[in-house]
Amino acid sequence: MNNHASTVIFGWDPLWVSSIIFIITYAVIVTEKINRSIVALLGAGLMISLGILNQQTAINGIDFNTLGLLTGMMVIVAIARRSGVFQYIAVWSAKKVEARPWGILLMLSIVTALFSALLDNVTTVLLIAPVTLLITGELKVHPYPFLFAEIFASNIGGTATLIGDPPNIMIGSAVNLTFNDFLINLAPITLLIFPITLFIIYLIWGRHMHASDEARERIMQFNEKQAITDVPLLKKSLLVISLVIVSFLFAHPLGLEPATIAMTGAALLLLLSTLNDDAEEQSENVHKSFAEVEWITIFFFVGLFIIVHGIEHAGLLDILANKVLSLTGGDLTLTAMAIIWASAVFSAIVDNIPFVATMIPIIKSMAPTFGGAEQLMPLWWSLALGACLGGNGSLVGASANLIVAGFAERSGYRIHFLEFMLIAFPLMLVSILIASLYVYLRYL
Amino acid sequence: MTIDIQRVLIPTIIVQQGMSVRDVFTECGKLHIHALPYSDKKGIICGRVTLKNIMKFSCLPEHMIELAHLLGNQMSCIENAEEKAREIICNPIEPYVRKLSETITSTEPLIKALAIMERNETSYIFVVDDGKYKGQITIQGIAQVMSNLENRCTS
Repeated sequence: MNNHASTVIFGWDPLWVSSIIFIITYAVIVTEKINRSIVALLGAGLMISLGILNQQTAINGIDFNTLGLLTGMMVIVAIARRSGVFQYIAVWSAKKVEARPWGILLMLSIVTALFSALLDNVTTVLLIAPVTLLITGELKVHPYPFLFAEIFASNIGGTATLIGDPPNIMIGSAVNLTFNDFLINLAPITLLIFPITLFIIYLIWGRHMHASDEARERIMQFNEKQAITDVPLLKKSLLVISLVIVSFLFAHPLGLEPATIAMTGAALLLLLSTLNDDAEEQSENVHKSFAEVEWITIFFFVGLFIIVHGIEHAGLLDILANKVLSLTGGDLTLTAMAIIWASAVFSAIVDNIPFVATMIPIIKSMAPTFGGAEQLMPLWWSLALGACLGGNGSLVGASANLIVAGFAERSGYRIHFLEFMLIAFPLMLVSILIASLYVYLRYL
Repeated sequence: MTIDIQRVLIPTIIVQQGMSVRDVFTECGKLHIHALPYSDKKGIICGRVTLKNIMKFSCLPEHMIELAHLLGNQMSCIENAEEKAREIICNPIEPYVRKLSETITSTEPLIKALAIMERNETSYIFVVDDGKYKGQITIQGIAQVMSNLENRCTS
């Protein structure tokens, strides 16, 4: 079953030891009492120290393509945001609809979805939420429906592309799927789910939204050009982001992995943004850009990859895969439906990253049952749709949700967990129902 | 002659439970300082209140800080500013108390006080001897003492 049994301390059964480490690690992550990166790294450390994996095998389990893509995109966004481009677009879009509340909600949601698809959804909401609070404060309308819509937009938009949401990055890297694969297979269904979600939001809140002419006039007085703080940086950022996206589109013919594109883009933008700096300023600016990388997420991934590699080596994931297959009778349709719905519910309750990290090797090991790796595509799309859209189900379902809630609270608006879930969970289920029909009709 | 801590020390009140924002503003305004120490019921210095922190948490929601460059003259939040200011100064001080930062004793060299201020990115430091608050040193206070030194500039 595994090659490492003899190395486990005291001759303990590696399957039991790794399973216990896995369960305890995930349980502690769920409680959110200890920072998730610390827990994951400790779990990874135990996998190696107790002899489930040796250091080299553990390193082999780390998906550097995922880490490179995430880090590269984080650096690009960290630099680009300093130019004020995102806030410019947000204010501009609000003025385009003459500051009508529902129009603003619609525009900010579209901007959020678009940025989430092309950059990453956490950064997007971090930039859009302040503009939303400023605008709703001036309009004297409650910000909750706007923030709610943006959370959904960020997770739906993130579902559409390889780089939009961490689960997609992980799946894409594990199965060698390109940016275009995600665009062709997931973007169409998000284009259907997004307007339906907005329509439901309109029925719940949108149709009751009103703002006085005076309040709307205040929004029209905003000068979006003041949001642009650095024009040369804006031009450089737009150039590099465009180059990166075009490279993603042509990654396959170019023979490039997403991590290479993102890291090269990051290096290029670092170079362009510090071109006229002296050595000291350059070091300071590079340091500042690197400091904005979400290292907690990166190290969380490192720990998780090792933990999952540990249980995979010990044979636990084969057992779990066989269990899933015995429950679904080896039927592809049933398995796909089980994955999409289970992913959605799990992702709504707990962080979707550990769930997807565990599911990837489980699905991979199902290849012989379904006649080869090519036959697994419906399962990969089910996992991506379930994990990304499921994040909308509760306030803790995705990082973007927590970012919005945290920011709103610091600005004096508390988003309550249950109040959010009461509408978000059924709305998420609607999106999963649509996604399930899509997977069934298109792939099964 | 050396410039020691005693020479630049500014004695101040200690903020205690039950005091209001107005009390802090009055003392800080009078002495041109930015912060005051806070003591618990037993009289032990256990925290500090700073003007910057009070302003931030009573007047500035986070989105305004983020979008400072976008704020204009037409905003609704600047209406009734005086009334809002009146409300803020009546607030009890407790919600604004922060963790006590590093302190220094009155016998230590002034350069150490400056170094600690620089490291902590503050412009003041509290002077505490054997748990007893003596006053505080500020960058402005040091600059003032230095400016009063005998003028030996050649130009």
